[in-house]
Amino acid sequence: MSVAAAEAPPAAAALPAPRWGRLALTGLVALLCAAPFLLVLVISFGEKVEGGSWTWGLTLANYERFFLGHDWPNALSLVYPQRLWFSVWYAALGAAFALALAFPCAWAITRRSRRTQAAWLAFILASLSLSEVFVVMGWDVLLSRNSGLPAWLKALGVTDMLKDGGWFPLLIEWDLANPRDLKFKTSGFATLLAMTYIVFPYAVILLYPPLSRLDPSLAEAARTMGARPWKVMRTVVLPAVRLPLIGSALLLFVYLLGAYVAVTVFTPPEKQTLTVTIYDAVRGQTLDAPFGAAQSVVLLATAGLCLWAAARAGVRR
Amino acid sequence: MGALSLSGVSKSWGAVTAVSDLSLDFPEGQLTALLGPSGCGKTTLLRMIAGLEAPSRGRVLLDGADITDRPAHVRRFGMVFQSFALFPHLSVAENVAYALAIAGMARRDRLAKAEALLALVQLDGYGDRRIGQLSGGQRQRVAIARALAQEPSVFLLDEPMSALDAKLREEMQVELRLLQQKLRVTTIVVTHDQREAMTMADRIVVMNRGEIEQVGPPQEVYDRPATAFVAGFIGKANILHGEARGGAVAAHGALFHPERPAAFRDGSPVTLACRPEAVRLGRAAREGANQLAARVSFVRDVGPTREIFLDAGPATLTAELGAGEREPFSVGEPVFAELPPAALRLFPRAA
Repeated sequence: MSVAAAEAPPAAAALPAPRWGRLALTGLVALLCAAPFLLVLVISFGEKVEGGSWTWGLTLANYERFFLGHDWPNALSLVYPQRLWFSVWYAALGAAFALALAFPCAWAITRRSRRTQAAWLAFILASLSLSEVFVVMGWDVLLSRNSGLPAWLKALGVTDMLKDGGWFPLLIEWDLANPRDLKFKTSGFATLLAMTYIVFPYAVILLYPPLSRLDPSLAEAARTMGARPWKVMRTVVLPAVRLPLIGSALLLFVYLLGAYVAVTVFTPPEKQTLTVTIYDAVRGQTLDAPFGAAQSVVLLATAGLCLWAAARAGVRR
Repeated sequence: MGALSLSGVSKSWGAVTAVSDLSLDFPEGQLTALLGPSGCGKTTLLRMIAGLEAPSRGRVLLDGADITDRPAHVRRFGMVFQSFALFPHLSVAENVAYALAIAGMARRDRLAKAEALLALVQLDGYGDRRIGQLSGGQRQRVAIARALAQEPSVFLLDEPMSALDAKLREEMQVELRLLQQKLRVTTIVVTHDQREAMTMADRIVVMNRGEIEQVGPPQEVYDRPATAFVAGFIGKANILHGEARGGAVAAHGALFHPERPAAFRDGSPVTLACRPEAVRLGRAAREGANQLAARVSFVRDVGPTREIFLDAGPATLTAELGAGEREPFSVGEPVFAELPPAALRLFPRAA
């Protein structure tokens, strides 16, 4: 501690402190938010060194490999754009399903007494504590062929009914059966089921505030003007919560873009998403950090692009 | 079209009774005000009429037909809500045309009709505005136009003025009354403001604790309140508690004779009410009864009138004098307050 600081009058020393504190906080936040992203961005232009390391560089090779393939210009491969497409596809569907299920639930909760509402919200908040790993483990058991849903359906005779009814070719095409049995695991269905389940509580929690704030006399006014319940929902309630609905959809979508465990466990290898290949590149088999970083940047840019497009669409109307 | 009647209507939630066994006719084309303190069941009654709430017992009849089980969207009574309940995602014209859109009217026709309705409530040219761009008074006009668009057989308003400031409220009361008289639509207004009820209504229904206290034209309800509650709720009233004695009422050491002898058994508890503007003040006791010795405790000039607050032992009285009247009474002065026989209203009181 310097003599000058020790001698400074306490009041003068106290005044600038908040400013420094604020600056330090800003710096910390910037460091925590921006630094990892900048590091990934920089690495994505770097070069792989055999044996699992990388060096600084300024090459676009990683991005070229992502969009055009390893062997470009001799051959074009769209494996990674396809992975990106699966990421977006699963995340969008998962978010949409979760919202479609959560909306009537949140709506029904807001119609209950305050006590009941509080109990439901507490229950749903508690279910948020289940991590992706827990959820996936649970569904893994539920969907497994020997002890889960397929076994029950077989015991109940549903499997035979579906077979006799000629549904099996279609189910096989959808990855939901092999020629002998129903099987739900490693299918798009299982992936979407797990993803929907993971974000469903978030969807309810996100939709509850705007729905409970909605003036109940809006719906009543519509009813006195001749609108049936479904029409009230379509012409009054949904438009009134359109912005929160879009916001929730985006949040869930971006969250699901990063889903990893559900994809590794439930998705057939040829339909897996970018998160899996990123992990493989950074930590897994290929050990190519710069290429993993490039994939991450593309995924992040896609998320940003979707947010931007939806925000514009939301504001325009 | 539009004669509404209620027969034995009750509404309760568990042990709480909001409206109990209420029968009432709403004559066609008239404006009826449901007046009462908050929690008296008037809004619940209006919601049952609209079909937004199902009565626990009793029937609702429209032109003789039982409509108790008809849902709100079939009754299609236009309703103006306390919050106005305008749809924020629609323009002013689209709000007004909502009922017409639901009914399947073509877009051009319904927007033309919305424009005509907006002209009716003096908002011509506002059709393209957003709801957020309107003032409170304009929102109310939009809500009224919207409720009238479907040409309802019964027009309902739930505390329609409560979101407006005092000056605008008075203007809108007159305007709404004129509009109702022009359209001759059966109208029911819920309000807790007796001035509002008296300004607009053909008939006032005074409610208290889920029951009707009195039904009648405004002036009659004011001049001849049927119960002590009505006397206290409509306008101001001096209330004295006493007991019957030989056709008169003994209260606070004085004897009060009504115009006609009261038919109470001697000794039974009686409440006595007298309007402040009927109270006469003098410096000396006059001949006859109906006088109470008092002391001036406070004087208040409120524009056209002067209110003199009086202490008479345990009782307090208010006398309202025209500002032009001479005799400036000052605080602390001993006076005699005379409650003229014609101005006295007597009510039985639970012992």
